[in-house]
Order: sequence, then structure tokens, then C-alpha cells
Amino acid sequence: MNCELAQERIVTAAYGELPDEQAHELERHLAGCASCQAEREQLRALKLLADAYPVAEVDANLMARSRLRLEEALDALPPMRWYERLSQRTTNNFASLQAAPVAALLLLVAGAGVGSLGGFELAQNRAAHAAAAQAARVQAQPVAAPAEGATIANISSIVRQPNSQMVEVRYNQVVPQRIAGSLNDPAIRQLLMLASENSASAGVRDDSVGLLAAECRAGHGCQATGIRDALMVALRYDRNAGVRQKALEGLEPYVAQDVRVRDAVLEALLNDADPRIRTAAINILEPVEADTSVRQVLHTVAYSDRNPNIRTVSRQVLSRVPEIQ
Amino acid sequence: MDKPKSAQERMQARAPEMELIREAQAGSRAAFDALVRQYEHQVLRLALHLTGSEHDAEDIYQEAFLKAYRYIGNFRFECSFYTWIYRIVTNLCLDQMRRRKTRREDHAVVTDRSGDEIDLLANVSDDRSFSNPARELDRKVLGERIQAALTKLTPRERMVFELKHYQGLRLRTIGEMLNTTEETAKNTLFRATKKLRLQLAGLR
Repeated sequence: MNCELAQERIVTAAYGELPDEQAHELERHLAGCASCQAEREQLRALKLLADAYPVAEVDANLMARSRLRLEEALDALPPMRWYERLSQRTTNNFASLQAAPVAALLLLVAGAGVGSLGGFELAQNRAAHAAAAQAARVQAQPVAAPAEGATIANISSIVRQPNSQMVEVRYNQVVPQRIAGSLNDPAIRQLLMLASENSASAGVRDDSVGLLAAECRAGHGCQATGIRDALMVALRYDRNAGVRQKALEGLEPYVAQDVRVRDAVLEALLNDADPRIRTAAINILEPVEADTSVRQVLHTVAYSDRNPNIRTVSRQVLSRVPEIQ
Repeated sequence: MDKPKSAQERMQARAPEMELIREAQAGSRAAFDALVRQYEHQVLRLALHLTGSEHDAEDIYQEAFLKAYRYIGNFRFECSFYTWIYRIVTNLCLDQMRRRKTRREDHAVVTDRSGDEIDLLANVSDDRSFSNPARELDRKVLGERIQAALTKLTPRERMVFELKHYQGLRLRTIGEMLNTTEETAKNTLFRATKKLRLQLAGLR
């Protein structure tokens, strides 16, 4: 081993990244080379010195300041539209197809397709030559314009017919629609549930969750339809406290019978950022306080919550029921 | 009774990271916040140590997580999320250091404040010098000198040295974060240590 290589390895060794067999070689070289030994000493000294500028723990003020600034910036961002997320996901799916075998297969299929299409086109061209007049009439067909009032969401493909002026463009449209109907109508419910999760506007989410919650409270069959799930999602994830509040109210009738609902409400009690929602959660849980997990959470909150109000309310609830021996 | 934990910690304990990423990709702000909580300390610590300025570190933290929020949909689970977020942060830090370097070179003044006639490296390698309080250097002054020597490195050398020496990452991970090979990272580390030794030995 020459000294140049040895010096490189001294660095890797000092940082614990030299494979064992190379470390052994290095030791042998060092035993007989004074200059490389000095080199190693110098590096040790450097490592020691460098620690005089230690990595300090982050100051709590700095942390809090940074956090606050980020949260403000994130709040100010418009939420991502569902179609933006969709397009991101599509790009991802496409990119993950890069796996070689899949790509090879696709290439094969595409090749075969282009080949047969080419043959077909050739035959067609010949036929077209034979009946040129007819072809001219076909080409003069008027172009169907996109529907009125619709936005074009994207263009999915453009194909030009060989040797002609004809172009085939495939596109997708977003057409504004309106639907009116009873709250019992499954289609209306479906739309409300979609709105409760996806709408960018807090007002729309608020309206939809409010209506769904009212349906649940009135007992108008929100069992099997997934409305309950939509409300639980809104309670857990909606950024707007008003929306979460309405979802909580809608879930109230089911706390006693549905364990999943109970869990969602318990989570809200523990985690929700808004004290009003947590207080409401306590009151909703009152009828089922005999449930051990509910008691446990109430105990936790009663003794260790940061908000004194919530501590008081949960203690009151606990005190109303005799302790089960 | 258990020590009260914050809501975020509970969320973290419950949902594994992959789940959080998926939810954040689907647009959940709560899941994204939980991810931020997992990495923010490391991010801020790294940015602070690299730039030596709270103000810059704060800016980098801000930009990094905003970027992560915008592009989380592009995260494809090909590398760890940790590597992904570090890649964003290191890129921002490199940009910041490059900007700083050009600004500093405008001044082109090298100051030697103390005028102490000491060879730092000679001092440390000699055990007796540290045991002798009369010759022991004030740790703070020493720290400043190290910092000054670090700024003489190129941004990339500085970054590799930071990630290896101070953050203790594997060279292979460093290579991955900086979009290069383990071998290149190793060579950069070698150059950095060489330059630093020259810098610190030359302080006489």
C-alpha cells in the first residue's frame, strides 16, 4: 500500500467506514510508516478540535417560532384540488411502471399494435385511393365542438392520420351540473359525502357535514350508507373546527352502540385542537362512561389535560357516576 | 399514570410513517403535520449548525417543509422518507451557503482577531497542552475558529463533513442524499479533512 492510499483510508477508518480486511492492511502499513502515523495523529486531533463547535440542541424559542411561521404559511396555501392530487398520483403510477419487465412488455405490445395498425392503414390508404371522391366527402365532416360551458380538464391523446389534414384529439371535460332531490336520495347523499371530504371550500364542507349530521341525528338511516364513516373522517381530519363540531353532533346517537364511533370521539377528546370540541366530546361520552376505555380517557384528561376547563368538566362527569368496584 | 403525551406523539405512535405519508399524499394536513413533527428537530439542528445563523436556519426550515408539502405527491417510496426530506434540506442549505460564499468573497478580507501565536493542531496532539490550564484555549474562541475554518470549505465539502462528522451519517446515505456515489462522498470527505487540517495548522 502506498502512502496516498493509506492516507485516504486513515480518514475512512477514523469515521468507521473501512472494511475489516482493508483496516488490517492499513494497520500493517502504519506500523512501518512514521509519516502516515503522524497523519493519523493529525486527523485524530482534527476530530477532537472539530467537536469544539458542537451541534447544539435547538432552542425552544427558535423551534416554536419556526413552527408557527410554517403553520401560518401552510394555512395560507390553497388546499390542493382533488384533480391536482389525481394528476400527481397518475404521474407516479406511470413512473413506477419503469420496472424493466413491464416496460419491455409494454414496448412489445405497443410495437405489435403499431405494426398491425400500420398494415391496416396501408390497406386503408389503398382503398382510399380507389375511392378518392368518397374519402374527400368524409374529410369534409364538420368538427364537433366541445360542449357549451364546459372546461377542458386535459388532453389525453393527439393522433394525426398519416398523409392527411385529419387530427384526432381525445380530451376530458369538466361539465358543471346541478342536481336537486330529497336528502334520502342515495345520489344526493353520495354527493354530500364527497363534498364533506373533498371540497376546497370550508363553507361547502360545513354545509354537507351539517346536513349529513342532521340526517344521522334524525335517525334517517345512516347505517349502511357510509355517512357515519364520512362524519368520522370529517371529525378526525377536517381543518375547520366548525365542520368537526357538526360531525361530532351527527355522531352523537351512535356513541352508545358503535365502538368505532366511540373511538373517534375519544380521539377527538384527546387530540382535537379546539377546546370546545373536546368539551362537547366529553358530554357526548357521558352516557357510556361505564365503558372502561372511556373511563380511562376521561381519567387521563381529568388529571393531565392542559386546559383547566376540560379537567373540570371531565371530573364532573366522572364524579356523577359511582366508581365501579 | 403515564406521563401526558402531546397529541402529535400519540398520533405518531399509532400510525406508522408510511401510513402518514399516504394520508399526507391524499391531502391530509394532520398527517403532514405529524411528519413535520418527526423531522423538524433534525432539520433545524442541521440547518443551524451548517449556517451558524438562527435566521437562516429558520428560513431553511420554512422553505424545506413548504417544498415537502408541495411535492409530497411525488414521493414514491423508492428511498426512505428521511433521505427524501434530507435531500430537500441539504439542497436548500447548499444554495444558502453558495449565496453566502459569493457575498463574503466580495469583502475579501481575512481577519485574525486574536493574534495568538499558536498552532492549534500541534496543541491538541500534544496531550500536555490540554492539561495545562495556562495554555488551554477558551472553548468558545476555539469553536469560533473551527467555524471560520469550516467556512473556507466549498459548500459541498462543508456539507459532506457536516453530515459525516457532526450528524454521523453513513457515506452511502450521504451519497444518496447528495445525488452522488458513496465513492464521491468519500473523496469529498477526504478533501475536506485535508483542507481543514491545513486551515487549523495555518493559524499561527
